[in-house]
Amino acid sequence: MCSIEHVEIAPLAKIVERHQVWSHIAAKYGVENPVPPWKTSLDGICDALDQGGCGPEILSFVDRRNEEDTLSATVYSNLPYPENQLVSLAHSLVARGVIDETELQERLTGIRARLEAG
Amino acid sequence: MTDHDHDHVRTVAPMVDEITDFEVLEIAVRELCIEKGLFTADDHRSFTEFAEHIGPTPAAHMVARAWLDPEFKKLVLADAIAASREVGVDWLQPTGFGTPSDFTALHVLEDSPTLHHVIVCSLCSCYPRPILGNSPEWYRTPNYRRRIVRWPRQVLAEFGLYLPEDVAIRVEDSNQKHRFMVMPVRPQGTQGWDEDQLAAIVTRDCLIGVALPKVGVTSNAITDTRPAIHPANH
Repeated sequence: MCSIEHVEIAPLAKIVERHQVWSHIAAKYGVENPVPPWKTSLDGICDALDQGGCGPEILSFVDRRNEEDTLSATVYSNLPYPENQLVSLAHSLVARGVIDETELQERLTGIRARLEAG
Repeated sequence: MTDHDHDHVRTVAPMVDEITDFEVLEIAVRELCIEKGLFTADDHRSFTEFAEHIGPTPAAHMVARAWLDPEFKKLVLADAIAASREVGVDWLQPTGFGTPSDFTALHVLEDSPTLHHVIVCSLCSCYPRPILGNSPEWYRTPNYRRRIVRWPRQVLAEFGLYLPEDVAIRVEDSNQKHRFMVMPVRPQGTQGWDEDQLAAIVTRDCLIGVALPKVGVTSNAITDTRPAIHPANH
């Protein structure tokens, strides 16, 4: 694997470009929560990965945090925290082949359709 | 509908009426990890519930109680894990089903008028989460982690904490097995205060060591995070 920041992941690049970061969204709707509502679930994913079944073998805690630091300073330097934490995690999983890029794109489309169906 | 109902409608909290890409991405990553067997949905729910309820309140009460009770203070310094249980945190089972990281030993670092402690995790972002909640963003940044070790006095000044030269600063580096929190000196002007009053001024920043408790200050500093000017690999 070449260095993590040189792996290009199209679905994540699109998300960065649309830049729906929490500070903008919260200001737009007058919401005062300092962090987005998905933050604790993201924490749950990270903890579960660190502890659960085969998670640590695939992406160890130290690798996850190191790559988050690298990616947050490079590819995702325009994203604030915790958006950069989330996108970096997805990046690490795709770069390792745990999640396929096409599969991720299809899942994103499917979930959005599901949520918008009301 | 009564007037009261109208008032209620008008004051309802605003909500986000938009599905963001990040919200969708979080769900996608979670679903795919579960489907691929990286963890179970039950594990995820349990850890998320843990993340929902942790915060710095138990640590603030531990310090406040130690200020009031010399015997409790001895316990805090000798066996912080046992003292944690007294404020409702069991480090062996903080989530009710297991620790969110390896078993860790907690140590409380007692400040004195001539010694100030501040904590960091120079390797990643280890933090005493069961008793202090999630770390703030700046604590996770490579910039803080590197600079607090090299230039503690300068970095503390950036947080608004200017320590006199005759106060020594000790930076304690957390790791996977050892977590730390700071017990600051009880400030002037708090004579006669009860535990709740004292706990209110023992903010998260005081427990990390980037602030000192002060009468009338109950919130943390808003700290901008900056990218490192000289990253380690350059």
